[in-house]
Amino acid sequence: MQNVMTKQFSYIGIALILAIIFPLVVTNTAVQHVAILFFMFAMMAVAWNIMGGYAGMFSFGQVAFFGIGAYTSSFLLISYQVNPWIGMIAGGLVAAFVAAAIGYPCSDLRGHYFAIASIAFGEIVRIHFNNWKLVGAAEGLSLPMLDGGFKDFMFHSSKLPYYYIMLAFLIIALIVCYLISTSKMGYYFRAIKESHDVAKVLGINVVWYRLIAIMVSAFLTAMAGTFYAQYVLYIDPESVMLLPISIQLVLISMLGGAGSVMGPVIGALVLIPLSEFTRIWLGHRGTGIDMLIYGFLITLISMYQPKGVWGFFTNMGKRAK
Amino acid sequence: MRTKWVSIMCVSLFAVLFLTVSVFAQQPKTIKIGAVYPLTGNIASTGLDCRRGAELAVDIINGKYNLSLPLAKTEGIPNLGGAKLELVFADTKGEPKNGMSETERLITQEKVVAIIGAYQSSVTKTASQATERLKIPYVCSDSSSPTLTERGFKYFFRVSPHDAIFAKDQFQFLKDVEKKTGKKINSVALLYENTEFGSNVGKYAAQYAKEFGYKVVADVSYPANATDVTSEVGTLIKAKPDILMHASYITDAILFTKTFKELNFTPMGITTFAGYIEPGYLPAVKADGNYIVIRSTFALDLAKKKPLIGQVGELFKKKYGVEMSENAARSFAAPFVLADAMNRAKSTKSEDIVKALLTTDIPGDQMIYPWKGIKFDPKSHQNIYATGTLVQIQNEKYVTVWPFDAAPAEVIWPFPPWRGRK
Repeated sequence: MQNVMTKQFSYIGIALILAIIFPLVVTNTAVQHVAILFFMFAMMAVAWNIMGGYAGMFSFGQVAFFGIGAYTSSFLLISYQVNPWIGMIAGGLVAAFVAAAIGYPCSDLRGHYFAIASIAFGEIVRIHFNNWKLVGAAEGLSLPMLDGGFKDFMFHSSKLPYYYIMLAFLIIALIVCYLISTSKMGYYFRAIKESHDVAKVLGINVVWYRLIAIMVSAFLTAMAGTFYAQYVLYIDPESVMLLPISIQLVLISMLGGAGSVMGPVIGALVLIPLSEFTRIWLGHRGTGIDMLIYGFLITLISMYQPKGVWGFFTNMGKRAK
Repeated sequence: MRTKWVSIMCVSLFAVLFLTVSVFAQQPKTIKIGAVYPLTGNIASTGLDCRRGAELAVDIINGKYNLSLPLAKTEGIPNLGGAKLELVFADTKGEPKNGMSETERLITQEKVVAIIGAYQSSVTKTASQATERLKIPYVCSDSSSPTLTERGFKYFFRVSPHDAIFAKDQFQFLKDVEKKTGKKINSVALLYENTEFGSNVGKYAAQYAKEFGYKVVADVSYPANATDVTSEVGTLIKAKPDILMHASYITDAILFTKTFKELNFTPMGITTFAGYIEPGYLPAVKADGNYIVIRSTFALDLAKKKPLIGQVGELFKKKYGVEMSENAARSFAAPFVLADAMNRAKSTKSEDIVKALLTTDIPGDQMIYPWKGIKFDPKSHQNIYATGTLVQIQNEKYVTVWPFDAAPAEVIWPFPPWRGRK
């Protein structure tokens, strides 16, 4: 067991070193952009995984937290000149609060019903923002171009700072997820996932632990939202609150392997470059062939590796022994 | 044996290299321009339209054509040794984040010297932020959000009119039509879809209604993907407006037209934006679209007064087999403006192009639009001459009816009741 652990950690160490060196070797900004998106979606998928993979709450409304994070920090920056870093924490707290407020009444919903409620939640938030004049309604918010630099969370000449910040965020999310999964709480989550009623009978405070899972997940997702706003510098409900983003997060987690720490990262590593590069290479022809290839690969993976790509790797490891 | 092969390979490789180098040396160099459009995704057909417009423009600049367009009669850009333009397309899927990343990729990887396009205003917003950061000129002729030219960007220029101009045009039209027919107009109802485009139109229309002295009796917004609009139309009927002003995309335009007819909503006039002029609208509603008035920057029937429009329309039809649409005509402008600027700057350096763009002065007779010309405001970089025209659907065809002095057809006013139409 000890051996396996050290082996896993050494793999992660190698991956980390590669991730740090990568943008220094590959200076193509288009590739760097794809890497940044990969980190961002991986982080959000890890956050989703805490809720969906561990605690068994299949959320299709995750994009609402992403949007709330993006909107909170941007709104504070534009209207009150609040530093985006502080805005990010505020966004995380608002998202966690909203998550608790919506999670509590939903705490008895299970399985499909929770999924349906989460879709409704995401859509309600989107429609609300689309008509909310204070935050620019459908027009969205354009962030002011500050001088740039770490203090402003805005960098104009190079993508490297964005790259490393997002990598750090991903690592934070992974550590949180790892700590939860190895703690008692992680076991409670899994118990709740297996069976609500059994968990209750065992004396687990189901409502409380479900709320924790939702709030942690919301906080992390909102952090990614602030990052998106600072990176793209323009947000509107159409780009940060659309249902397909939620679906993509579920897809990434399921494809990579829900319920494992690294699964979502692997899923994002497969899906994000796939969708981005097929668009870059084939999209300009306007034939939609990139979407076909993307869909075909997803179908292939789900047919032959229903446990996700991570499951494939662990199986290989077992077979090798 | 092996060394012989290697030497033969080496020699042939050198020969090929030498040939390509000499061929390149003879040819005038090409200048790359990046074009970002939604080429896949749910408005791919619009993206294709835009793409065709830009491609035809580049064809005309690169080849010899006997047209009065800028640089049409010469091959390539004369002051740059006849250099040819090359469009490098990138797909945004209509998403703002892709607008940013594709623009950056075109500039840093493909080494384009300027950017055109984007169509959707939200995508143009992020794409132009990228050009502003990387200091590359961006000439936009197909996005209509007024906010784009309110940002004080140094590298962003817009040729086409924006929604505030279009909204003002419609009220000017109402004033003119009042004078012409003697029928007094008192009230308007505003109806708009609730994304950025529609709500902006709604905002400006309300503002201009006040300025022009009309009473807004209803202000209704709705989601563009609505599947039933009976209650919206009910509200409009109750408000009894003289005029309905409607900003829509295409599917909602079709749905509303059908509901207007069903509920017999007959104001004095219906004036609209965007959706009613998309290529798919008329085939879907046929004669029910008659008498609706739509804003436009282009119409093929203007050829009667401006032969250039007919000639370009002909070229377009020959190349693609379809009529030139309004979207294609809008995207057609940007390459000419850029080519003209590079020709005068005698350079492809970013700062030189921007300087030349600021002194752009293309007269109206060198364009396919009914404007006085192209000249950019030194601060906002909006074309100060850009105005819209209004077309009306008559006998299931778009005919230009306003401005009255330039229009080939008479407006049919007021809107005839639905019942009793042939």
